[in-house]
Amino acid sequence: MIQFKALLIKEFKEAFRDKRALMAALLIAFMAPVMIFSISKVAIKEAIEKPTIYAQILGSEFSPKLMDKFKKDKILPISKVPDNEKYLWQDRNIKITIPKFFAKNMFLGKTIEVVLNTDYSDKAMDSSIQRIKKSVDEYSRRIGHNRLLVRGVDIQLLHPVKLIEQDTALLSSNAAFISMLLGIYLLVAAFVSGLPVAIDSSAGERERNVLEMLLCQPIATIKIVFTKMTCASVVAATGVILTLGLTALAVSFVDLAQIGATFSLDFYTVMVLLALLLPICFFASSLQLFFAFQAKSFKEAQSTVTMIIMMPAFIPMALTFINDKPKWLDWMPISGQSLLMEDLFKGIPVNWSVVLFTGAVTLMMTFSLIHATAYRLKSEKAVMALG
Amino acid sequence: MIKVQNLHKKFVNGKNKIKALNGLSFQANDGEITGILGPNGAGKTTCLRTLYGLLKADEGQMIIDNIDVATQAIQARKQLGIFPDKFGLYERLTAYEQIDYFASIHGLQGIDKKVAIEQVINDLGMTALAHRKTQGFSQGQRMKVTLAQALVHQPRNLILDEPTRGLDVMSTRILREYLLQFKHNGHCILFSSHVMQEVAALCDRVIIVSNGKLAAQGTPQELCELAGESHLEDAFVKLIGSDEGVAA
Repeated sequence: MIQFKALLIKEFKEAFRDKRALMAALLIAFMAPVMIFSISKVAIKEAIEKPTIYAQILGSEFSPKLMDKFKKDKILPISKVPDNEKYLWQDRNIKITIPKFFAKNMFLGKTIEVVLNTDYSDKAMDSSIQRIKKSVDEYSRRIGHNRLLVRGVDIQLLHPVKLIEQDTALLSSNAAFISMLLGIYLLVAAFVSGLPVAIDSSAGERERNVLEMLLCQPIATIKIVFTKMTCASVVAATGVILTLGLTALAVSFVDLAQIGATFSLDFYTVMVLLALLLPICFFASSLQLFFAFQAKSFKEAQSTVTMIIMMPAFIPMALTFINDKPKWLDWMPISGQSLLMEDLFKGIPVNWSVVLFTGAVTLMMTFSLIHATAYRLKSEKAVMALG
Repeated sequence: MIKVQNLHKKFVNGKNKIKALNGLSFQANDGEITGILGPNGAGKTTCLRTLYGLLKADEGQMIIDNIDVATQAIQARKQLGIFPDKFGLYERLTAYEQIDYFASIHGLQGIDKKVAIEQVINDLGMTALAHRKTQGFSQGQRMKVTLAQALVHQPRNLILDEPTRGLDVMSTRILREYLLQFKHNGHCILFSSHVMQEVAALCDRVIIVSNGKLAAQGTPQELCELAGESHLEDAFVKLIGSDEGVAA
């Protein structure tokens, strides 16, 4: 116990006296509110505003009424684009072609082909394409309805079946972009915050020749690894708690009601998030220590361990592409916590048995990594950084 | 007491096999200072590293105070104070905190620990730098802190790998006096050195290692007589059969 206490105190003294590494570790927490606030603002602006679309309209003179409809729907000819948006809309290159026999075919009741020509693969064009299609459809339907009405036909005959859509999504689900972003961000914070401490206390100590001195002492390697993991995990957990606190503060300044959404981090949500993320802090630190101790130098440890921080960003993203998720993903570290956070943010009641089981699996893997690292430290190749 | 019997150790680097120790045997007794001499690459540091458990012997036995290093490594290390060839300091800790850390690792606590730390700081003349962070310490100051860490728990056996490199004359004298005091208190001291004068002045017994095995052993006087030389340096060169490494 004396040894364990001494090791732990020394690790914390070293970690908290390295101000530069500590600031770098906790920087992610201070970046969270800025990022969430900015992205939310942009998302709200895009959702509630209907910016004018500028398109190259060929044959506009053949259909003044369609042009009036376009004008009403804020779809204007490219000749009217303001100078500051000229480059953007020229680059988007939306072309609408109205045939010269528009009026004649309208009179004859024949189908008129209006051509919309643009790059459909460009995601930025989705909104413009949808709005142009909707405008033409509304114009077409209105004329079709008028034609039936003057012939004494009830226009309801055109709609024998009508689908009534009822959205069961909670208001909090409408803030999916914030919750997904925050979920990934919190997982990344758990991995990034403790990273400098984990590398410094492993590969850094070996490079400064203090690890060799420590390993000559009458002390079990498991105690050494466990205390280093504890210290890095505490810094990681501090990063996660700070991220949560500052994000809660930042979100309160964003008026999500404008897009029919709500998002709040109340005490219960924060507690559930901490229950999910604390095992991840331990897991992340033990994983980082395992790889950092394998590295032959501090620099190699930095490049190897930095790759690990891609995991918490990559796994939740990959999960969004899997429609039928296998059950075991619920129990694995990172994927399990990510799915549970998704449910939590959607307002689905927390399944505590899954929370506990996923946490237990994560902690078991953490202990396995600690034991594996402690075992490796008994090897002269690992200690002396031999090939 | 430290006893080494038939110690073998080889390093494999790809297809190359380097035999660092080739059946080395010797004994360092309590109440004596035993010096290990040998040219560069003779196996001195490998032998010491194997003794304090950083390297695993391929063959042979090492006994420290009747404890087998191979089977009871942690128990064996409890009997040791170590000054390794590669030593570093925790640069964000003060000298006092470092010594305190190693004292705690060796199980000291409370008033006993405090007294032991004050004692070693006074003995090594470190009072002025005790409460300074070790970042920026000179080589000599760093060596003193490392020595203090090794000595704070008053180990029965002391292993030092070239302890005087980088020390100024005053610090070297303090260290010598400390080692002699340790010897008179019945401790076992094993140290490697390249400084012949130091070995001749301090050591009760000298072990000469060459090519990973024992080339000769005895008191400095006995070695001189064995080689038929009046100076230990000349005797050393004659006994290892080469002047390689003498200038190191």
